[in-house]
Amino acid sequence: MKINARILKSIKSLPAFPITIKKINRMISSPDYSAKELAGVIKYDQSITANILRMCNSAYFGLRHKVDNVQDAILYLGRENLVRAVLAAGISRYFKKTKGYAVEGIDLWEHSVSVALMAQILSRKIYNQEDPKLFTAAILHDVGKVVLGEYVCASCKKIKTLVSEKGYDFLEAEEEVLGVNHAQMGGEMALLWNFPADIKDAIAYHHRPDLVRRKSNGLVWLVYLADQICLMTGIGGGADGLAYRGLKEAFDKFKLRQQDVEEAMILLLRGMEDARELLDIVPDKRSVPRAAPQERSLRY
Amino acid sequence: MKEIVVGIADLKVSRNSDDIMVTYALGSCVAVAAYDPRARVGGLLHFMLPSSSLNVSKARENPSMFADTGLPVLFKSCYELGADKRRMVVKIAGGANIIGDASYFRVGQKNLTTLRKILWRNGILVSGEDTGSNTNRTLRFHIQDGRVLVRRSGGSLEAI
Repeated sequence: MKINARILKSIKSLPAFPITIKKINRMISSPDYSAKELAGVIKYDQSITANILRMCNSAYFGLRHKVDNVQDAILYLGRENLVRAVLAAGISRYFKKTKGYAVEGIDLWEHSVSVALMAQILSRKIYNQEDPKLFTAAILHDVGKVVLGEYVCASCKKIKTLVSEKGYDFLEAEEEVLGVNHAQMGGEMALLWNFPADIKDAIAYHHRPDLVRRKSNGLVWLVYLADQICLMTGIGGGADGLAYRGLKEAFDKFKLRQQDVEEAMILLLRGMEDARELLDIVPDKRSVPRAAPQERSLRY
Repeated sequence: MKEIVVGIADLKVSRNSDDIMVTYALGSCVAVAAYDPRARVGGLLHFMLPSSSLNVSKARENPSMFADTGLPVLFKSCYELGADKRRMVVKIAGGANIIGDASYFRVGQKNLTTLRKILWRNGILVSGEDTGSNTNRTLRFHIQDGRVLVRRSGGSLEAI
């Protein structure tokens, strides 16, 4: 894999993956985590604290009393929601700033959240349960776009032409023009950030799960499927549209039918409504606020 | 000039000449713009799936989710604002697909087929469209004169 030197340089200057998130994720994944210890870590991160309290006091949970401290919030939220709140608070700043792939009305963060929700919808359908690791992999699947965004911006015309006139899919077009596609780039970033191997694979192969060599546990296929269904629903990453190849094996692997896809799309609309708190997350001071308030693209 | 956003599985009607209806994020979903040029009444439907038989209770709750339940509501809502069936001009956009021929991914094609069938059965012609392919679309619909402009992702606004 030949990566354009300029792009490789920009990956080296990436900010470190928020250490608090790593720490918290590790603590939550142990079956008997203590709320007190967890609160001890979280309370030093302003952005995560703000967002956890915000989620806890949202209409979604409908609590009678206002939750005003992290430790109570941890108890109320429970493990699944805690994972969501922590991740969302910690990484949304990268996604919200991303340019290049964006189209009118949709940002990459909204797409990332939708894929994470869709992955859980599929996991419930297939395994009858949710999976925090899947949520992590899914919400990070397009992280490569955060770095590639500005290059795609500059080469957008070339890439578009390859897709619309030469029959390339978007990945092939990115490779041809930039020397690397956004999934590979995400994989490199995951490596740099020391993510577990299966999450790294899920990011690096989220458009081509059929190419994973390591024995896979389905994670990468679920992220792939979730991404494709979100793109179809229109909660897309943007400029790439639906220019990806459909892999039929994905359905055979999980014994899914067309009807399951359509039902999942309905559940997603509802899920996105409930996830407002994740979408309108409070930016922390390190992030650059969006220039102008955009009209929301989804209304229910 | 007022912009009215039509979301996914959503429907809006208007007879206010200042209004411009906008729908973003058309993937495999389809937008149907119906317009009576004399009454200057217009409606825009953004449906997601072809048939309400998938989930009848959902369809009752939100008919705009499906082609077969959304279309009747679209036309009826326009008539209520003074539109006349014989004058209706219909334009459509969306229905994109993931590349490849795995039918599981072809929700866009299914949406278009069902839509055309329903329109044809009711003797309604489609007078403009930008459909299929594998691109995202944004659609703008001017109530003043019924103009429908479509932007493919990364492209420019084009009238259909």
